[in-house]
Amino acid sequence: MKEEKKYWNPAMETLPRERLVEIELRRFREHLRWSQENSPFYKKKFRGIEPEDIRTLEDLAKVPLTEKDELREAQVGKEPYLYGDLLAVPPERLSVYHQTSGTTGKPVYVPDTYESWQWTVEVWCYILYAAGFRPTDRVFLPFVYNVYIAFWQGHYAAEKLGCEIVPGGGLETKARIQKMMEVKATGLMNTPTYGLHMLEVAKEMGIDPKRDLTIKRMICAGEPMPEPTRLRLEEGWGADVFDHLGGTEPGGWAGMCSQKKGMHVIEPHFLLEMIDLETMSKPISPGVKGVAVITSFCRRPIPLIRFNLKDIMMVRDDPCACGRTSIRVDQVGGRVDDLRKIRGVFFSPSVVEEVIRGKFPQVVEFETILTQEGIMPVLTLRVEMEPSLAESQQKERCKVIREQLKIRTNLTFEIESVKPGGLPRYTLKSARFKDATKK
Amino acid sequence: MGQGREGMEYDLKAMDLEIKAIEERTKKLRELGNGFVAVERNADSILTFVYLLKRNISDLIE
Repeated sequence: MKEEKKYWNPAMETLPRERLVEIELRRFREHLRWSQENSPFYKKKFRGIEPEDIRTLEDLAKVPLTEKDELREAQVGKEPYLYGDLLAVPPERLSVYHQTSGTTGKPVYVPDTYESWQWTVEVWCYILYAAGFRPTDRVFLPFVYNVYIAFWQGHYAAEKLGCEIVPGGGLETKARIQKMMEVKATGLMNTPTYGLHMLEVAKEMGIDPKRDLTIKRMICAGEPMPEPTRLRLEEGWGADVFDHLGGTEPGGWAGMCSQKKGMHVIEPHFLLEMIDLETMSKPISPGVKGVAVITSFCRRPIPLIRFNLKDIMMVRDDPCACGRTSIRVDQVGGRVDDLRKIRGVFFSPSVVEEVIRGKFPQVVEFETILTQEGIMPVLTLRVEMEPSLAESQQKERCKVIREQLKIRTNLTFEIESVKPGGLPRYTLKSARFKDATKK
Repeated sequence: MGQGREGMEYDLKAMDLEIKAIEERTKKLRELGNGFVAVERNADSILTFVYLLKRNISDLIE
């Protein structure tokens, strides 16, 4: 019997670290030069920086970080229309359009050439293969045909890998569940929120995904997935659930292997740096929380060099039992944009999800709202519990939730119980934190 | 030779030579089909995948 292959690219994924770094630095120099020569934005931004001066990881600090706001500004009101000064290829070479969701402002428009698009698909192949997707899988994709990048690359990568794709975008949730059951789908790609939502809907339909469906593996995208949420999905679906890291601008850049301990950066297609949260410049060591900065080497139409992802992460330094030599990261603290200093304490909304998903399976949905009473900020957690729970049990749960949140965050929450169906459900990115203090 | 952890040996240099040969021949085909859109576009597609092979294999050679 033929031995099961573990790697998409056995040579690259097991290269010694020093070789990976060597290739990344070489690619960094090439990409920097390309960007300076072809993108008016980078020509101006990186004026005076000599690519040949970047010889070590420490030298990377000679190149300033790229911020999302700069990408937006470089596109607004400039020719060629949509892409402005960022564009580094002739417009006639473009073949694919996507955009960011614009949740933190105006969207960034991200085009691809056929070549760069195929490269983003290729790196997703690394992600899917590490998660165990194989040609024998029938993969159900419940995502809608639209301008956002989530799952497009997953779709094409699964196809390239040899899986059979079942496009379930045009169906509503109940029909999707029926279709997965009918075709005996073995793989699934969705946001963690939608994975949980489908569990809820399946329950209403009298379907137990663990018993009645055949999903063996699920890959999640689109939003951070704290470990308790991943475990809840695994339990509900009876499947292996894998996370990945990616975004519209860089593409998918890290994925979880069978060990499910952090996510492997797809090196040397990407170079990840971790910088200090306070100074936003000093490199930090493994095991310390920091901000992730990414350079993606092959997306030439809109190059991305030292892009500040604003995601709080931590690099692991223990070797992975899967044999991959790339560095692994954990997403540990949400996004820098969501961090708030409340009564002198740093608060990240992702902690609420960790507590709720990890300790309170009776909570079906929740949202955190930050308001202000006079000069005092107030955090309110609205929770929707299983309808089967009696009012007294709900009150008791609310009390325990409040205590647990106090322990984890050192902040006091107002807890409000909401009637069944009273909180919004999300099919793509969730918005469970609302800052009502912002005008 | 490169060695994956699955115990198999891979002759990266031989693969690289084949990749370069495909690239050269595809470029030649594209030139022959100059103005013949079906040839040009399909040759471009082949060159895209050659580019990915170079990124995956050729770049690893010291």
